[in-house]
Amino acid sequence: MDAILELDFDALIVGGGIAGLQAALDLADQDYQVAVVEKDTSIGGKMIRLSKVFPTLDCSSCITTPKMAAAAHHENITIFTYCDLKSLESEGLVLTASITQRPRYVNPDKCIGCRLCEYHCPVYVADKEEGGFSARKAAYIPFSNAIPQIALIDVENCMLCGKCAKVCPTQAVDYFQEPENFTIRAKTAVLATGFELTPVENKQQYGNGEIPNVITSLQMERLLAPHGPYNRVLRPSDGMEPDAVAFIQCAGSRDKSMGISYCSRVCCMYAIKQAMLLSGSLPLADITVYYMDIRAFGKGYEQFYQNAKAMGIEFVKGKVATIDAGANDSVTLRYEDQNGEGVTSANHDMVALSLGMIPGWNPEGTCPVSTAADRFIQTIRPKIAPTRTDMEGVFVAGAAAGPKDIVDTITEAGAAAMEAAKYMTAMETARKAVA
Amino acid sequence: MSQTEKQKKEQKAAMKRLRQERKQKIKDIAATVKTQKEAVKAIKEQLQNHGGTVPQIARETGISADKVLWYIAALKKYGEISEAEKDGGYFRYILSEGSPEEIFNGQPDGSQDTK
Ligand SMILES: Cc1cc2nc3c(=O)[nH]c(=O)nc-3n(C[C@H](O)[C@H](O)[C@H](O)COP(=O)(O)OP(=O)(O)OC[C@H]3O[C@@H](n4cnc5c(N)ncnc54)[C@H](O)[C@@H]3O)c2cc1C
Ligand code: SF4
Ligand code: SF4
Repeated sequence: MDAILELDFDALIVGGGIAGLQAALDLADQDYQVAVVEKDTSIGGKMIRLSKVFPTLDCSSCITTPKMAAAAHHENITIFTYCDLKSLESEGLVLTASITQRPRYVNPDKCIGCRLCEYHCPVYVADKEEGGFSARKAAYIPFSNAIPQIALIDVENCMLCGKCAKVCPTQAVDYFQEPENFTIRAKTAVLATGFELTPVENKQQYGNGEIPNVITSLQMERLLAPHGPYNRVLRPSDGMEPDAVAFIQCAGSRDKSMGISYCSRVCCMYAIKQAMLLSGSLPLADITVYYMDIRAFGKGYEQFYQNAKAMGIEFVKGKVATIDAGANDSVTLRYEDQNGEGVTSANHDMVALSLGMIPGWNPEGTCPVSTAADRFIQTIRPKIAPTRTDMEGVFVAGAAAGPKDIVDTITEAGAAAMEAAKYMTAMETARKAVA
Repeated sequence: MSQTEKQKKEQKAAMKRLRQERKQKIKDIAATVKTQKEAVKAIKEQLQNHGGTVPQIARETGISADKVLWYIAALKKYGEISEAEKDGGYFRYILSEGSPEEIFNGQPDGSQDTK
């Protein structure tokens, strides 16, 4: 049997979203050797998939891609994508992570990202990177600004026709690749495993995700992105440019029926942003936001909300009770209008659910770090050292610790990197004192 | 037999074994691909003459409108179809000019190559 590869780093970052990348860059710039382990095929997390970001309305991929590239090209950072963290444990002062590299069925050292395999592959597969609204192939590059730009083969949808191998100019396709296990040893770790959206399938009153033209907020981000599935906002059921679009707030947050009693913090702001972007691309459309309260908590956010109102976006205070399919592919909402007509209904061409945030990773069985009642990673000094976990030398950053916007995520990632650096310095000082 | 010939033969045999292992799955995917090919052909045929909107293509081909849009989004990404002018609340789609491969290699979405 082959010996398991063992690699030594100063710091291990789990998760290559914006939190993980920022923490990695802040540590690498101080000359620490950093490993970033990402489960996805690309680094960048949710941020690289967004259209524009509140409150500045910067193009998200324009500000995320340079960070991704900076991390990928940093001499002190090694990035491992498409990897499963099997365990993370501490043994004395050393943290040991067991990791499995999933097979891409493409040799990463040979692939030049030319996409010829993708172009020639005959199988169309729903592209989850585009909210399922478009297709990719069974051989594919995850998305156009993915890092790394390395193809992979989705074996679940591959019919082994051999076309990709035939056209590949570098003989990179390898149908026989196997998973590979390796170990990373590090002095410290930052958990930056982010968030997922509350599953729309769990909300029966909102149609369990089966009503045409009821989409999730991340799908709306893709529709609004310039390089999105349709390159413009169209109704997914038939390609019509929608005349009336609604956003439903707290669809999965502050909702005990879904087991999520907390506020997801960013949904009000991202819905306002999406409504503004929509109003820019469809100036004649009626845009309505149904909300319980608007939580515009950050610097400049209240002004952002006021600007949206001034643009003509309608804000209706009322909790939507049910969503049903209406006539001609429209969507019917029943809601209680708290400022007017009591229980009433409205029709829209398309509805976006502002779903809440749940943890991106459950450490149970993988790592002995504790989670809080909301299942996000617990911080033991939430006021004075908010990135510290109950595992020595292990810190947390970004949405892994709780719902958070990008500004707070970046700030927290910097703080986690600083705590990790301080921890390594203290360990080194203690070691020298003993020697 | 030369070394490369031997390697080639071994590789062929290994592929045969792999195909045998995944026989049922390959059969199912091949059936899906057949349906997809037929759908793409029908959509392209509709676009060949005069272009069309999603509901028009759906009516003519019998493929559901959401699926037509799905194929159009994919074919547009791979450079085979382009969007034309607006027609009521819908856009018309037409076949792209030039070989799809050429269009595809030019990164139709205008994105950066970040490798
Ligand atoms: C629809 C929507 C719109 C938004 N718009 C804005 C906006 O305009 N402005 C703004 O400030 N904020 C916005 N946000 C919030 C923003 O997305 C988050 O603040 C940010 O993405 C948090 O970054 P993160 O790195 O902590 O988490 P993520 O982006 O979730 O990244 C976590 C990474 O960790 C990886 N990972 C998870 N588990 C593991 C594991 N076990 N092993 C290895 N890797 C793992 C994931 O694959 C992912 O790459 C929006 C959120 C949503 C849902
Ligand atoms: S072998 Fe699989 S991935 Fe490659 S072209 Fe054929 S179906 Fe696509
Ligand atoms: S696997 Fe080959 S054909 Fe596919 S992107 Fe890589 S180099 Fe190009």
